[in-house]
Amino acid sequence: MTDFDVRTDARGIGVVTPKGRLNMVSAKQLRTAVSELVDAGTTKVVVDLAETTFLDSSGLGALVAGLKSARQAGGDLRIARPTQQVVTVLGLTNMDKVLRPRESVDGAFDG
Amino acid sequence: MAEPVRLTLATGADETAVDQTQDLLQTLWEQAPDVGDLDRIRLETAVAEVIGNIAKHTRRLDPPGSDSRRVHVTVWCSDEEVGAEFVDNGLPVAIDLSDVTMPDPDLDAESGRGLALALAAVDQLDYERLSGRNHWRLSCRRGGA
Repeated sequence: MTDFDVRTDARGIGVVTPKGRLNMVSAKQLRTAVSELVDAGTTKVVVDLAETTFLDSSGLGALVAGLKSARQAGGDLRIARPTQQVVTVLGLTNMDKVLRPRESVDGAFDG
Repeated sequence: MAEPVRLTLATGADETAVDQTQDLLQTLWEQAPDVGDLDRIRLETAVAEVIGNIAKHTRRLDPPGSDSRRVHVTVWCSDEEVGAEFVDNGLPVAIDLSDVTMPDPDLDAESGRGLALALAAVDQLDYERLSGRNHWRLSCRRGGA
């Protein structure tokens, strides 16, 4: 079971924190969480991956979908604090070029 | 020399099998604590893609609510390798693994990375259709950090 914390910080940036595995079952929840934020006007979104123990290609697809919808709405989606398995998947798929991991949630939109 | 560990699971070939299989691997790692993180990551990354593929495609033409598709999962660990095997009674897999390539890293491809990721993660990934069943076998030689 994967839980999702969703909040908007003082700067109006949405922060989604998946807790557990992001696999083909929970990826749908991530898609929903990000699209609800973007639809509500929160177009800058950070996905905090510090508590994401596992990412598969479905979870990666959900991140790509979220990135697309955020950019189409004039914002962006960034990922922060990935675990070792997530870094491995981003590297094997070359998607670290598109989803560059950031060291912190608060600094994800700096630079 | 640690004793080899071998665990099995038989379940419906649907989405619930994905977490059940990852839970089975978690139990394997608890019973084989000497397996390094990189070996665990490589096998689990590929295993999740293969069981995800089985859950998605083996029943693709079945009527809704049908539950006749089953999958048998075996995961193991020895001094030399970690591995997994899947046998399901679903539809034949319509893919040639030798043709699988990783899509370019752009935003137009939200899907299509699964089996390419599995192939990249492990040393060996084979698929065979035998006696009306799909057989998948994955393994990694141990040696990661």
